Amino acid sequence: MVPEMTEELRANKLKTDEMLINMGPQHPATHGVLRLILKLDGELVKHCEPVVGHLHRAQEWQGQNRTWFQYQALIDRVDYLSGMFTSWALARAAEKIDDVKVPLRAEYMRVIVAEMNRLTSHLLWLGTFGIDLGAMMGLPFYPFREREELLDLLEAIAGQRMMFNYIRIGGVQNEAPPGWFARLFKFTGSFPDRIDEYEAILSNNPIFLKRTKAVGILPRKLAIDYGVTGPTLRASGVALDLRKVKPYSVYDRLDFAVPVCNRDGDTYDRYMCRIIEMHESNKIIRQCIEQIPGGTADVLREKRKACSACGKANCPHCGGDLAIMVKKQNAGLRVKAGEGFAAVESPRGVLGCYIISTGSDTAYRIKWRNPSFSNLAVLPELLLDHQIADIMAIFGSIDVILPDVDR
Amino acid sequence: MNSAVFEIGKFARLTLLWLCIIFGAVWGVSWSIGVLLPAVILSQSGESGRFWAQLLQALVPVVAVALFVPLNTCYMVLAERRLLALFTVRKGPNRVGPDGAFQTVADALKLLLKEEITPRGADLLMYTLAPVIFFAPSIIGVMPLLAAVSGNHPLFTPVNLPTGVFYILAVSSIPVVGVVMGGWASNNKYSLVGALRSAAQAISYEIPLLLSIITVCLLAGTLDFVQIADNQRGSLLNWNILGGGALTHLGIGSPWWSIAAALLLAACCILLFALYVICACAEVNRTPFDLPEAESELVSGFNTEYSGIKFAIFFLAEYTNLFIVSTFAAVMFLGGGHAPFPGLEDACISGLRGLLAAWFGACTPFQLGWLVNSLVNPATVSQVFWIIVKSYALVWFASLIRATLPRLRIDQLMDYSWKRLVPLALILLIAVTFLKELV
Repeated sequence: MVPEMTEELRANKLKTDEMLINMGPQHPATHGVLRLILKLDGELVKHCEPVVGHLHRAQEWQGQNRTWFQYQALIDRVDYLSGMFTSWALARAAEKIDDVKVPLRAEYMRVIVAEMNRLTSHLLWLGTFGIDLGAMMGLPFYPFREREELLDLLEAIAGQRMMFNYIRIGGVQNEAPPGWFARLFKFTGSFPDRIDEYEAILSNNPIFLKRTKAVGILPRKLAIDYGVTGPTLRASGVALDLRKVKPYSVYDRLDFAVPVCNRDGDTYDRYMCRIIEMHESNKIIRQCIEQIPGGTADVLREKRKACSACGKANCPHCGGDLAIMVKKQNAGLRVKAGEGFAAVESPRGVLGCYIISTGSDTAYRIKWRNPSFSNLAVLPELLLDHQIADIMAIFGSIDVILPDVDR
Repeated sequence: MNSAVFEIGKFARLTLLWLCIIFGAVWGVSWSIGVLLPAVILSQSGESGRFWAQLLQALVPVVAVALFVPLNTCYMVLAERRLLALFTVRKGPNRVGPDGAFQTVADALKLLLKEEITPRGADLLMYTLAPVIFFAPSIIGVMPLLAAVSGNHPLFTPVNLPTGVFYILAVSSIPVVGVVMGGWASNNKYSLVGALRSAAQAISYEIPLLLSIITVCLLAGTLDFVQIADNQRGSLLNWNILGGGALTHLGIGSPWWSIAAALLLAACCILLFALYVICACAEVNRTPFDLPEAESELVSGFNTEYSGIKFAIFFLAEYTNLFIVSTFAAVMFLGGGHAPFPGLEDACISGLRGLLAAWFGACTPFQLGWLVNSLVNPATVSQVFWIIVKSYALVWFASLIRATLPRLRIDQLMDYSWKRLVPLALILLIAVTFLKELV
């Protein structure tokens, strides 16, 4: 009689070893320089340990050793795909301490550029997510086509394509160039169709569904425990979006929805959340262009001819709500003594900035709360007992930016 | 839209240029070795030169393949890059030569001059042998196809095996040995995982591939490429993809069951073709089955550690394999070198013959016209033209797939083969066997 193949016998007969594998820091799918120490049993991940810190640039320390004016320009580099949001968090924290009221027009401009930045960030994510899933050639280039258009617009207004340094303490850097609003409005008109184009490739593709559905399920409680935020959290069924929960700037005047999935989110839900968010951001931009006080830059420029763009605070065409900057931007930029915290909803989640100022030209202490760091922390839990190929799908779907993790 | 048309025009020009280069060079060299040189030798030294003349003629297929494989790969890589650019609203390589025509030649030169690196701890013998073992089957696999491509031209008849299909299938299962060797010998865990994936994949996809080919052989009743191609002569309806002539036998008076069987047979054969294309994609590691390479997961899989000429050989073999499976499909399913419509083939041949006669007329030996007339045989040109159009269309289709689909996961890949493709292939085998008798 043949003895039954028990687990013990099997283990003795077919002795297999776990394989220790180093994924990264140089690996095409780790989106920068993340190192994952993986224990693999065949293709299954048995243990995962992310090693972070390869990109540590002491951004917080630099904040204490650079003047406010210098640090504003530096802080875009923390999360290089959404520079507007880091600038915005810093500006809002400083403005809280300073007790500065930002003009309404500047607030609208901030929302417009920030939502544009959210679009560029999500578009890049979509492209790289395609690469992570193995659509090496086709998909990545379609989102990049639209991203290019948005980056051109951002370049026209900020002078830079990635490190904008556009949102400053006390307002925004400058007024939009001629024709800018018209170009943007035209873009927002065609953009929903473009999103449908991406969806036509992915959303119903059987291979894509197989690779994403029920892969990397992030339970609601686990997400909350790890401090996960952003679309990753909302895909797991928690309606936390600072724009809705604690409306800042002019978000309470805008009509938009926050996509929330009502179950424990998998990779597909996280994908879908971001797709819907792009639609909503597009809506927000359109509303802002319609609502912005003073109208588009071209209209305002015509009106300002009457006062030859005097820039005085009491001028009906230049001051009040229509100004874009209330603090002088030069090396003498100061923030009053005090401490303040402000958070914004970045494409990756809640981005917080805590500042202690003594009133000198540098900050006394700066602390950043970066969404990518907390989102990455949950990765080992998600990867357990998944296959090697799923590492990329899951890691791609939480959308981590490594400079944002390491600061 | 206009720019897309413009780019397509550029692509067509590139293709034309490269086809002229490839087939001009291959045919020119084959002709000089197989016809001109033996003729010269025989006229100079008479009977004593017969041995050398025959030796030269026997060498023709070998030289032709050795020339064809690298040239063809140069074109295929260029075409793929230009097509991918076209599909993804980019320009693609367009700097080296007119419209970037010689980009891949420059790339090949770069790879040849590049330093070869052997990783520490690598098994040197296996590491060096792996690309050779991977590449050799694609060279010997092209051989029997030569006869089918050239319409059984006398120069290539010796390589037309009566069991050519069987031979190619046997040969095509060797490359995976090279992959596993390379992955193991590289002393790299990513390569090892890639190699093991490749082994699993090759085993599971070879079965439905074989079954689909066996079914076509059953339909055609032979294993000989030239015969299979000739059976499909006539028109589109005679092609194996539409049931190998089942539809042409139907007349007004055919019984209803015969009509139904013929239609069913055609449907089965279309499914069979789809099955073959899917399995062939997996066989040659193309997206969505490129798991052994899986650039975003395993960096580059089994060839991660290879550089310089060894990598070039892997690359060469991969594209040659793609060409082989495409040509194979063109012969087995799409009528080989025969035109899709009845009159078209004759029109091609007589048109070309008329053109030659008009341009060069009757010339005495050793004039330009005589040279051209003996070089260009209208029937062979038509054959080669049609089969090449079909093969490259399939290659371009593979590029389109690469530009669209994400990659499967290894367990899904296996599921798909064993739970879907293998049963489907078996069902089709049985269905075709019965339907063929009913028609």
